[in-house]
Amino acid sequence: MNKTIDARGAACPQPVIETKKALETCDTVITIVDNDTALENLRRLADNLNCIATCATNNDGIYVTISKSGASPVAPSAVQDASAVKKTEGATLMVVSQDVMGKGDDALGQVLIRAFFHTLAETDPAPDTIVFFNSGVNLLTGISDVIEDIKILEEKNIKILACGTCLDYYRIKDVIAAGTVTNMYEIKELMFSARKIINL
Amino acid sequence: MTTHAEYHYVLFRSVSETMWADKLLKSKSVPRKLIPVPRGISSDCGVCIRLESEFVECARNELASIGEFRIIGPL
Repeated sequence: MNKTIDARGAACPQPVIETKKALETCDTVITIVDNDTALENLRRLADNLNCIATCATNNDGIYVTISKSGASPVAPSAVQDASAVKKTEGATLMVVSQDVMGKGDDALGQVLIRAFFHTLAETDPAPDTIVFFNSGVNLLTGISDVIEDIKILEEKNIKILACGTCLDYYRIKDVIAAGTVTNMYEIKELMFSARKIINL
Repeated sequence: MTTHAEYHYVLFRSVSETMWADKLLKSKSVPRKLIPVPRGISSDCGVCIRLESEFVECARNELASIGEFRIIGPL
């Protein structure tokens, strides 16, 4: 059974939520989106659910086809996706919600966050995943003072994630130099399944 | 990759002076990194500017107007 979802104009993470829900009862779901962030989020959903994703760009949108590959049927949405949760169970998650450290003086906050990321890159332990949102995504651009340290963290297999909505808002989607795009759906899952959350 | 033995560290009297120096060196395109003061130098909380050896003299000249500072290294 197939289903087509028109998610053009839908804000993140609606395309992912609706597609995942549809996959509970359909073998193939075609989701039409209108931006690359939604496309990447759907690809990652397919990955997490062990499905196959293909896409075709037409004049009226990007058609993303997600098909079950013969793996176990997707569980109802009331039950958390076991594979996604298992990956993050016991993990340490760091949340970076601004491009400065602390409140008060932003110039001082910039100094502190530079010092912090240097220390994070040079010493152990480190978190398993770092998610950036709101002004925190500015730290991921090529001209950021901490980008070299973030790249070191990425080389150490620390997952670097940036909220797609925030990248769009700050118009820096095309200039980030580290990390991959995520959505609120995944951010929520990461927060609820982490053993420890460090809020910077 | 540069080893620790090739770094020098510039210490100032205050965070504010460190920030001013960082801004000055940035405006002069001197490669540097603002980092916490290494534990081998001090156990106090503070930040300093780390330079690769080949940029020490250049930085010293540019920072002449700042006032007091110390350059330590290599560790």
